[in-house]
Amino acid sequence: MAEMTPRERIMAVSHKKRADKLPFFHQWTHCHTGWAERECRNRGMGLFWRRPGWRVTVHDVEITEKYTVVETGPVIRRTYVTPVGTVYEDEKRDPGVGQWHAERSWKDKAPCLTEHPIKGPEDYKVMKYIAEHTEYTTDYFPVEQAKEWLGEDGIVVDVHAHQPIQMLMLDWIGTRGGRFFIHHAKYPDLVEDLCQAISKSRESLYEIQAKSPAEFVWLADNVDSVLDNPRFFEKYLMPEYEKMAKVFHKHGKLFAVHMDGRVNNLKHLIARTPIDIIEALTSPPMGDLPIGEALSVWKDKVVWSGFPGSVYVLGPEATKKHALNLLRNVIPGDRLAIEMSTENLVSNENLTMLTSILENADLPLTEEKIDRIAASLS
Amino acid sequence: METKEYLALLKQSIINLDFDGAVKVANKAMEAGVDPYLAINEGMVPGMAVVGDKFEKGEYFLSELVVAAEVMKEGLAVITPYLKKDVSKKIGKVVIATVEGDYHDIGKNIVTSLLRIQGFEVVDLGTDVPTDKIIAAVNEHQPDIVAMSALLNLTMIKMGETIEALKAAKLREKVKVIVGGTSLTDEFAQKIGADHCAADAFEGVKKCLKWVTHQERRN
Repeated sequence: MAEMTPRERIMAVSHKKRADKLPFFHQWTHCHTGWAERECRNRGMGLFWRRPGWRVTVHDVEITEKYTVVETGPVIRRTYVTPVGTVYEDEKRDPGVGQWHAERSWKDKAPCLTEHPIKGPEDYKVMKYIAEHTEYTTDYFPVEQAKEWLGEDGIVVDVHAHQPIQMLMLDWIGTRGGRFFIHHAKYPDLVEDLCQAISKSRESLYEIQAKSPAEFVWLADNVDSVLDNPRFFEKYLMPEYEKMAKVFHKHGKLFAVHMDGRVNNLKHLIARTPIDIIEALTSPPMGDLPIGEALSVWKDKVVWSGFPGSVYVLGPEATKKHALNLLRNVIPGDRLAIEMSTENLVSNENLTMLTSILENADLPLTEEKIDRIAASLS
Repeated sequence: METKEYLALLKQSIINLDFDGAVKVANKAMEAGVDPYLAINEGMVPGMAVVGDKFEKGEYFLSELVVAAEVMKEGLAVITPYLKKDVSKKIGKVVIATVEGDYHDIGKNIVTSLLRIQGFEVVDLGTDVPTDKIIAAVNEHQPDIVAMSALLNLTMIKMGETIEALKAAKLREKVKVIVGGTSLTDEFAQKIGADHCAADAFEGVKKCLKWVTHQERRN
């Protein structure tokens, strides 16, 4: 049998078929260009590109940005003026943002909201107005372009931001000082009403993404049970996953959700969702659910596992040890792909070390094969 | 209504995460002449302890912990003006910060609330705190403990930098250093020279309590 391409491997595994080797790939967002990246890609590392197949227009809202200095330092203040009121948010950008790719800083840190638009109960009506005046339109060019560029080197997913309740928690209200949780306890009607308004405004987006040229729709939900406890997950996140999956599956799309946090106590609920791919599941010590256990609980799902950044911090030897243990944990290695990083850039030494292991991970994995890989590195 | 009934209601308002109830009962209790120290220490603090137990048993989650601490804060705002100022003996002092480049503060805030409830004086430097600011605060406040939080792989290395800076400033021997955050491991904490890596907020606070009570015995 001819050797599979990185794309063929990812597609096979994502459709729960066996690939020739364990697929491994880098997210373009966290992938620097250079000798190590070239070498690893020549040795089988694929690429994973997130692109939107849609545009957004916000009607009857004046949005302005200005550079200003607040107590914590310089920020970009974005002000939203609507007929029902005005809100603002502050965004901190580390050096490098806008100067290379994906709005990341030189050290691969995304811009961070230091002040969120919803501060008190009076702000909900403004954000509801914005949600109700948001229009999504089709624009598949970014997806088609990335597919053309990548060819057999990797895959493109049609990207989608946080789902409504996650958007409220992480983007519009924020968790700093526990604000989201306090609002949710104090003003449940306001939170739920706004959540429903966002969900309704997203319906056209779901339809657009369902017809995207990408094979996958990827939702950046950042699920973590520390923030999304089981009661909350079941009440808010699951119904929206069902709503989305119904539309995506009707058009043959695979539905991937970014769950990079600690999800052990959500595992049985996640099993009940119609999600096809749990993306960025991170093994302990960063996450709290071993990948092998996740695969055994989620028998109808595929895992794209993120390699833990806290292991990379300890250097290439720690990377080798963790990777070999990971392989032993997932024997025979079906329904699994490994992402080099779902958080940050990876050093050349760590990237080449991980590639040295994964390029030889022929499927099905066995203890003997893993012993051979270990011996080849010693 | 008798004092014990007010105390029971205060306790229950914390357990039930009931903002309105806590404020209402606190007001009524103060108007009825309930001792404010009793209201706090035998009403609200035991309520928080129940919340803590529920958290440890997995019945309550972090969000409930955050809300309970906020309910307590609103109740305390009613009761505090009735307290005499000179009786608030502190068992130890902690300087706490989320390190530079990191804006995550849920864990830090929970730890801060729990430490205060346990009787610590806490100097909360906030988030995105540069190393030199932490060192300056240690010099100024002379705490027993320095607590640092980080969520990101990129920022956790700042904890090591801070410990090195404490050594350079000849302050390391004077303080215990506790670190916490999702990405952290015992191995990493050991590598950077921290005294302890908190498994969670409650475990971290228990460790701080052990340190200061040990100091008290030693002194």
